[in-house]
Amino acid sequence: MREQLMEILEELRPDVDFENEKQLITDGILESFDIVALVGELCDAFDIELHVEDLVPDNFNSVEGMIELIEKLQDE
Amino acid sequence: MEISVLDWLEVSSKKYANKVAFSDENDSITFGRLRRYAQSIGGAIADKDGGKSPVAVFSGRNIMTVAAFLGVVYSGRCYAPLDSKLPVTRIRQILETLSASLIVTDRENLDFVLNLGYDENSIIVIEDAVSSEPDIEKLSSVRRFATEDDPLYIIFTSGSTGKPKGVMTSHRSLMCYIDAYMRVMKISENDVLGNQSPLDYIAAVRDIYLPLLTGCSTVIIPKVYFSSPAGLFDFMNERKITSVGWSVSGLTVLTALGVFKHGKPQYLKKICFSGSVMPGKCLKEWQENLPDAMFVNQYGPTEATASCTYYIVNEKVSDDTVLPIGLPYRNYRVFLLSEDNKAVPVGGEGEICVSGPILALGYYNDPERTAASFIQNPLNHSYRELIYKTGDIGVMRPDGILEFHGRKDRQIKHLGHRVELDEVELAAGRTKGVGECAAVYDSEKEIIWLFYTGEASVKEIAIQMRKDLPGFMIPRKMKKLEAIPRLPNGKIDNGALKNLTE
Repeated sequence: MREQLMEILEELRPDVDFENEKQLITDGILESFDIVALVGELCDAFDIELHVEDLVPDNFNSVEGMIELIEKLQDE
Repeated sequence: MEISVLDWLEVSSKKYANKVAFSDENDSITFGRLRRYAQSIGGAIADKDGGKSPVAVFSGRNIMTVAAFLGVVYSGRCYAPLDSKLPVTRIRQILETLSASLIVTDRENLDFVLNLGYDENSIIVIEDAVSSEPDIEKLSSVRRFATEDDPLYIIFTSGSTGKPKGVMTSHRSLMCYIDAYMRVMKISENDVLGNQSPLDYIAAVRDIYLPLLTGCSTVIIPKVYFSSPAGLFDFMNERKITSVGWSVSGLTVLTALGVFKHGKPQYLKKICFSGSVMPGKCLKEWQENLPDAMFVNQYGPTEATASCTYYIVNEKVSDDTVLPIGLPYRNYRVFLLSEDNKAVPVGGEGEICVSGPILALGYYNDPERTAASFIQNPLNHSYRELIYKTGDIGVMRPDGILEFHGRKDRQIKHLGHRVELDEVELAAGRTKGVGECAAVYDSEKEIIWLFYTGEASVKEIAIQMRKDLPGFMIPRKMKKLEAIPRLPNGKIDNGALKNLTE
């Protein structure tokens, strides 16, 4: 899953070092329009449904946070 | 007659001395204190040197930034708000255009400003300046010689040659717009405005100056709520926000993220949107969730103080609704010109032109582009009347309502910002290993595409472009081609490129 996620993120923002950035939202590295695009991609790729409640900085600040969120939603 | 925004501030700071004028997530400032802080900052600037050159302001998304802007105004100069998150090369380019000798900054951006090469003698730190007593006498002697066409601010926007244009606006123009907007939106002292626009961007002028005129207050909404919006409406309800003037993309992002599944902004009664064409699907969702609210579509360029016309949406919109851009604001003259500079009959297409006291003073330190854009009204041979040709195409309906019919050049409106596709291509072309390139815009999906030839990778181009351009100007999709498709006459085949985006 990590590989697939990294592929999506690389395509979305090739300039960002997703392995090392841990404050993607809090530091404003990902903008609101990045999030809109990312949400669509994640729903398609991982067959999950994201709710507005899931769109909090903790879930998107790092790759680890995103993986945790995707796993949680896949279990539901 | 009021000739300065400081006249407004002085009236409101007496009438509403202890009322909150601005608040952000953690702090708030009353009208009385705002004036006091602005005077202190103004005094600190006046003490530095007696120059008149614009003062660049680097300050965060908080209430003190407003005090800093007004402080510069008290010193008798105009301010140029800048975002330290912009690429450094772009900031240097802008500071050079401004010949900025003085910088106002908050403590957070101080190191950044020092690294730009400014020393302590040319820097005013907001937090330090507000702790000193203002020299009222000095400030009033500055005020004595103010005129209503004194420049108030300079805001930079994308330029097709790769050099940003600094649009300079006078007190009078800004005051005309704020007064006209207040009438349309019926803003009173009872309103609470919710600010979305970055404070260095043109759309923020409403949120900054309406409190000074009307006694309403403005809440600077933390940026994070627009990318993780679960708490946005709770925050707006807690602050009892009644009126917003947001970019279309601000509204579409929220509906795309499903924000209404979580609740509603229950106090919100007036919504103005601007910046690009509102998709019917998005407005329909807002209307259904806020059936009693007034929705207003605003149109206009920075060169006409952010505005030209407005349209109050009285109908229930559907997915396919394309809103007209409406009627001129009060004190605005809006009309159409044909390509050969003749008047355009009702129902015909022409370039939207604007004149009147809301016209910008021009592009700062750029007489050539100013002369090309601000011209004598070709329909008026009898006296001097400058107009601004917007580059937008419009049609006047028989009922006097104006419709928007796209652009005549390669400028696009993307996520609320003006973007010149020429500037995007110029920046991409600076990457090593890029041969030719062509940018096209998919307005439906709000995606800038870049097609290019050469050995460079997408990653290399993206990294290079981020050195020169703000984030919203970076193409979201890039694709390498063997050759850029061309028409028999040698011009780039935009139709073929558009097909490649599907």
